[in-house]
Amino acid sequence: MVEKKRSKRFQTLEDRPVHKDGFIGEWIETGLIAMGSPNDPKPSVKVSGGKIVEMDGKRREDFDMIDQFIADYAIDVSITEEAMSKSDVELARMLVDINTPAEEVRKIFGGLTPAKLAAVVDKLNIVEIMMAMQKMRVRQTPKNQAHVTSATDNPVMLACDAAEAAYRGFAEIETTVAVFKYGPLNALSLLVGSQVGRPGVLTQDALEESFELEIGMRGLTAYAETVSVYGTEGVFVDGDDTPWSKAFLASCYASRGIKMRFTSGTGSEVQMGAAEGKSMLYLEARCILITKGAGVQGLQNGSISVIGVPGAVPSGLRAVAAENLLTMAMGMEVASGNDQTFSHSDLRRTARTIPQLFPGTDLIFSGYSAVPNCDNMFAGSNWDIEDIDDYLALQRDFKVDGGVRPVLEEDVIAVRNKAARALQAVYEELGFPPITDEEVEAATYANTSKDVPPRNIPEDVKAADRIMKEGITGVDVIKALVKRGYRDVAEAILMMMKQRISGDYLQTSAWIDESGYVWSAINDPNTYQGPMTGYQMSPERWEEIKDVPWAIRAEDV
Amino acid sequence: MAMELNEQLIAELVRKTLKEVMGSANTPVDAAPRGGESKNHLKVEDYPVASKRPELLKTPTGKALEDVNLDNLMSGKVGFEDLRITPEALEYQAQIAEAAGKAQVAMNLRRSAELIKVPDKKLLEIYNALRPRRSTKQELLDIADELESQYNAVVNAKMIREAADVYERRGLLKSA
Amino acid sequence: MVSLNEEVIRKVIAEVLAEMVPSSETGKKAESASVPKAASSMKLVEKGEAEKSSDPRDVAIGISPGFGVGFNETIVGTPHSEVLRQLMAGIEEEGLKPRVVRVSHTCDVAFIGKKAAELSGSGIGIGVLSRGTTVIHQKDLSPLQNLELFPQSPLLDPETFRAIGRNAAKYAKGESPVPVPTKNDPMARPRYQGLAALLHNKEMRFVDPKKGPVEIEVAFDR
Repeated sequence: MVEKKRSKRFQTLEDRPVHKDGFIGEWIETGLIAMGSPNDPKPSVKVSGGKIVEMDGKRREDFDMIDQFIADYAIDVSITEEAMSKSDVELARMLVDINTPAEEVRKIFGGLTPAKLAAVVDKLNIVEIMMAMQKMRVRQTPKNQAHVTSATDNPVMLACDAAEAAYRGFAEIETTVAVFKYGPLNALSLLVGSQVGRPGVLTQDALEESFELEIGMRGLTAYAETVSVYGTEGVFVDGDDTPWSKAFLASCYASRGIKMRFTSGTGSEVQMGAAEGKSMLYLEARCILITKGAGVQGLQNGSISVIGVPGAVPSGLRAVAAENLLTMAMGMEVASGNDQTFSHSDLRRTARTIPQLFPGTDLIFSGYSAVPNCDNMFAGSNWDIEDIDDYLALQRDFKVDGGVRPVLEEDVIAVRNKAARALQAVYEELGFPPITDEEVEAATYANTSKDVPPRNIPEDVKAADRIMKEGITGVDVIKALVKRGYRDVAEAILMMMKQRISGDYLQTSAWIDESGYVWSAINDPNTYQGPMTGYQMSPERWEEIKDVPWAIRAEDV
Repeated sequence: MAMELNEQLIAELVRKTLKEVMGSANTPVDAAPRGGESKNHLKVEDYPVASKRPELLKTPTGKALEDVNLDNLMSGKVGFEDLRITPEALEYQAQIAEAAGKAQVAMNLRRSAELIKVPDKKLLEIYNALRPRRSTKQELLDIADELESQYNAVVNAKMIREAADVYERRGLLKSA
Repeated sequence: MVSLNEEVIRKVIAEVLAEMVPSSETGKKAESASVPKAASSMKLVEKGEAEKSSDPRDVAIGISPGFGVGFNETIVGTPHSEVLRQLMAGIEEEGLKPRVVRVSHTCDVAFIGKKAAELSGSGIGIGVLSRGTTVIHQKDLSPLQNLELFPQSPLLDPETFRAIGRNAAKYAKGESPVPVPTKNDPMARPRYQGLAALLHNKEMRFVDPKKGPVEIEVAFDR
């Protein structure tokens, strides 16, 4: 066989990281297409007797369960015929027009069907999508969420990393487990650590729905977000739920005073081989409307754990940004993805984050790995803690608020140490397997879980079981902390638990500041209407972002 | 000021609220536990309620928000049972959501208010029963009846009856 | 559908990771697994409708609609003959009898595994998709539950398939084996997820909702 002579240039290119990524062509008939599949239904609506009797070319008697839920709960019947009569381009222009206030856009868009929503955002290029996000995001101030997990579920490491993440500025922290049974202990570490780092940070323990609800009721976590919805009836049912069961679950959370959002994302249906030939974005528009119809305040989307699918097809990342935008246009909080390994290429993974970082979203990441990816039990995030100085540089380069701040090494060490000691005290008070001084020291200075001594896993698991069996709550943690002199941490946890008396943080896009004050789309609505309106970075915040510790100062040279 | 909230009062309140919710969405709702004393219809300006209208908030055992502090917790004057939401608080939040143009969120908060009294275990049972092919139509209708008669959860009951119809039409019921 | 249920996946990955506490060198790349590419092949002969066995020593392997017919290798190129050979050898190593059935009415690994478990005399079944995704199931569990799930098809190598066979047999004997350690490679997603979706949709074309499970006789070419 004659060997084909190769170009050295092309051989070099083939060795670049981007060539390790999977790229696939569109396959329209199965729905391996990001936006605008010829199989997407033609938008339509008919109202009769105060009810939608036709939607996107289907008559009411032919509605599947998702169609019916959306038609009856999500779409504003009073305005739908008027809104649907507008052209895609006219509606697309409303999204970017600085003279049309977001509330006005939202009113009209409240009458649009899933097919119309998908068609409208398909008229926007990526920069227009970003412009629209800047205007349509529901809360004015952008924030960020972090992942804090440990490959060995090391409780001391988790407390330290939670404290550091909170101290670095993340408004929410999410954990999950390596070993399922560690769930309650991980929640405890996050609770104590986060409130040491910055009182008011919301914590979450993503495991399994009934567990999450229970641990939330105990006050060991403050919110939940892994409640998945899907865009086709078949996939929804395979996922063992319906819009009605999920809506009921949503009400269960609020009845216990716990914040929650749903999760969905482009690509999940086609990955299960059941996209019915529809585009990823059209199906995601249905998920967004299911969420709205259920009355859930927000949605985690942006493909999430399926990012490799839209990431592999043409215009996939534009679709991912578009789904974030649609969530905002529907008036909901968006935790906008960027939370899963997406590419081998540093260039691609940076670019993937720009559409959310530059305009700002409620939570730009869901979340940013505040631990090295080798410790990330969500199978890795698009950015991890080892990228944090790059991220801080981007905030500074572009004067953009990415929701984190530069920190000093000695401050982080102090915060980590305090978190480890506070957890040590709680473990001792509760009679859990002791945390040694050696472990405290190691975790204080550690980078990964490999830097700390291994724990006795069976003994820890017994302690985790005790949390569940004995009904240990946040109140027990507070009492333990007070007894051991960590009154400030105890105050912070009590402040978090008190939130459920008022339910203020159940409102759309809520976060809690250091004093316990709740900010949300209600009292911090986005007022963007062109240059010098909307979110304006305060001088203090800009000073903070500017002041990366490694920058050379004129006075020091 | 510190009006005792007992179960009976809450039940009455929920009933009243629901009646109004079910009646007309446009009817102003007064869910405040103040009898005829004054009308409370919260607006966006009243948010966050814990900071702007703390006097309206009570714990499930009737304690004032300011009484929920570390000293009282340590002395046992307040406890875990105080750190829970009440139907009134959820109604306030529903009013605020409505005022902010978030009709669906308001509906969810009102459905939630109905579920406060339903025990945790029961909630999870109902959730599981609502999953596809878990229940016969009759089983779903029975759950709806129970929610309505035992917990006065009228809106939730309506939604479950509706689910029973949809599941029947789409083949999502358990084969009897 | 179990292969995408985030919570389930996390849970299983988690439990499996628990068993490999010290071995954090999980980076053993899937593609570096030394697979003798197409070193062996096999014949799959249909033997009629599969029936429930009463032999408590039998462990059924349910193969997906396109396994060995539409596709001949997994997502990382492990030949299907090698997958079956290893799964069967694992079961035999534990002294039990492997049996192969093709499930055609679904492409969902959870339901394939569950069906195999129902047909299996021991009540333990393995479900395997063409791209490699595998599950160990038990007849009394609900479809979305499982004994062990291996959702990340690119990380399954021949040794893992053998260990899966072994563990299935151990469950069949009433033991509680240590779950098979799987690798965790965060970069498998960017590399393989799009391809996995493509393959899954291709395999969906072999689904025949009306066709019941069929007994398969496997003849390996030497």
